[in-house]
Amino acid sequence: MRFVDEYRDPAAARRAVEEIGIVSGGEHRKFMEVCGGHTHTIYKHGIENVLPENVELVHGPGCPVCVIPMGRVDDAINLAEQPGVIFTSFGDMMRVPGSTSNLLEAKARGADVRMVYSPLDALRIAQANPDRQVVFFAIGFETTAPSTAITLLKAKEAGVTNFSVFCNHVTIVPPIKAILESPDLRLDGFIGPGHVSTVIGNRPYRFLPAQYGKPLVTAGFEPLDILQAILMLVRQLRDGRCEVENQYTRAVRDEGNVRALQILGQVFELRPHFEWRGLGFISHSGLKLSEAFADWDAELRFQVPGVRVADPKACQCGEVLKGVIKPWECKVFGTACTPETPIGTCMVSSEGACAAYYNYGRFTREAAASARIPVRSA
Amino acid sequence: MTLTHADTGAAGAGGDGPYEHGLTEDLARAALALARRFHAGGTMWCASPSWTFHAHHVAVEFVHPVIMGKRALPAVVVPPGADLVASLRATVRPGDMVVVVAGTAPSDPGGADVAEVMRRGPAWGVETVWIGAGTRPPAGAADHVLWLGTDDPLVASEQFVRIYHLLWELTHVCFEHSGLLQPDLCEEEVCITCSDEGRTAEVVAVDEGGDAVVRTAEGRERIDVSLIDPPRPGDLVLVHAGSAIASLEEGRS
Repeated sequence: MRFVDEYRDPAAARRAVEEIGIVSGGEHRKFMEVCGGHTHTIYKHGIENVLPENVELVHGPGCPVCVIPMGRVDDAINLAEQPGVIFTSFGDMMRVPGSTSNLLEAKARGADVRMVYSPLDALRIAQANPDRQVVFFAIGFETTAPSTAITLLKAKEAGVTNFSVFCNHVTIVPPIKAILESPDLRLDGFIGPGHVSTVIGNRPYRFLPAQYGKPLVTAGFEPLDILQAILMLVRQLRDGRCEVENQYTRAVRDEGNVRALQILGQVFELRPHFEWRGLGFISHSGLKLSEAFADWDAELRFQVPGVRVADPKACQCGEVLKGVIKPWECKVFGTACTPETPIGTCMVSSEGACAAYYNYGRFTREAAASARIPVRSA
Repeated sequence: MTLTHADTGAAGAGGDGPYEHGLTEDLARAALALARRFHAGGTMWCASPSWTFHAHHVAVEFVHPVIMGKRALPAVVVPPGADLVASLRATVRPGDMVVVVAGTAPSDPGGADVAEVMRRGPAWGVETVWIGAGTRPPAGAADHVLWLGTDDPLVASEQFVRIYHLLWELTHVCFEHSGLLQPDLCEEEVCITCSDEGRTAEVVAVDEGGDAVVRTAEGRERIDVSLIDPPRPGDLVLVHAGSAIASLEEGRS
């Protein structure tokens, strides 16, 4: 278990925790952190256990691995197994289960699947292997989409024709709307994603206070950042304010990264709808390559089955992603579904709520629930 | 020499003395972090722009242990008058430590340089300890902020000695418990590519083609910088999936 004195500048963290307790005044508050990176930090550093009992965090759909539907993974495996293809992917996608296998198993069967750190690495592989078709499995929110866009611009400029992108990029605002319209969830506010917001800025969140009456505070990824964001949220609620605020001022500007947004507009266009695991189809929530880049679109270059696969019945990733249930309340959590043999995607990625909870929180939940772990030096 | 809970206000009194609330735990935590870094082969770099004798004093405590049988630990002083950022940039390696005794600007003229060093800690891969007094630096300015509440420079200077003596002594206490020095088992890999991750990196050099060589805690990397305004060497940027997605210099003077 981690304690507040292990945070960067623990004295400041202690003060933030104490002030959250005072400002929230014992009133029950439920906040959702939208971003998987925040979920990871919250579990890793035991933030839930140092917060006052009346402040509850629920974990949102912000892990791009966790929201990929099974049918898209099957499509990826199909692409990887086509003759002459080098299939490149970020590491976390390798173990995500499709309906019958995953990319690692496809590699074991003989497919040329390679892990890359950046889409630019995939482009370099294509340039080094002109006689092979290189496909990049593009996933991620607006943080990652600009890297894919830059790579496509470079591919076009250099005339690299044996490179293509299997695009699964998604956008953050539509799922937040979908969650707010979910009837079984009551939230008091949101902790906004830090690095997505370096790209899109804070303006796209203004609908939250305006249309739904919910505050949002964009936060960085240090434990102290998250505590400060929670403090800003409870202050807003105490003062009767409802605004979009920015805790992560060292990186996030209101207008975002204008150049990145322009490039995204040039390379991608919105899909009419895109399927999210557990959330179903959400309008205008996915990106595909624009007409100008159709030659680099793997879905047009190759025959992709595109079959929709229903999620396993036992898996409750959908409820976890919406914050309706906690990971440990899922019927298969920690028994049939573990990081070694995941059934649902929330257990695959280290940013997934289930895997983060399984790795960091499962041993101490009961103890923490029965006797809240005190903030030292109180 | 012992700091009691009453001295530090850690017992909850808030304290009329010079010590910040909770300093006891913060000192222990800083000492554990230093012990782990020394154990893994790190070097401690000591600096104090306004009190050079404190920088020498910290280094000599660690290099030349006053208690028989304690191991000598590598500690080096940044030369007084040197450009603090440039000197440390040239000398530190990932895994090292930087311990600075300084106030914050404007009351301490060296405070601005110290803040710059602390800001670069994550990119250089160093653990940062800032011992000081007076106006506290912004929250999260360093990994460990060991702060005195007093504005009296003489009181502060005397108490600094006490703090870094304890830091040295507690570091050696950690060495007596080898289990404490093991790498943290919870430090498992995170998804650095597909999640919303952004690593702090310092630009070393910029190519004409829109690429840059940057320094991160994991070493040097070549990244794309065409999404941001052309950075200059020394700028801090956030890196995600091989691209700089934001500059951390905007809005800074």
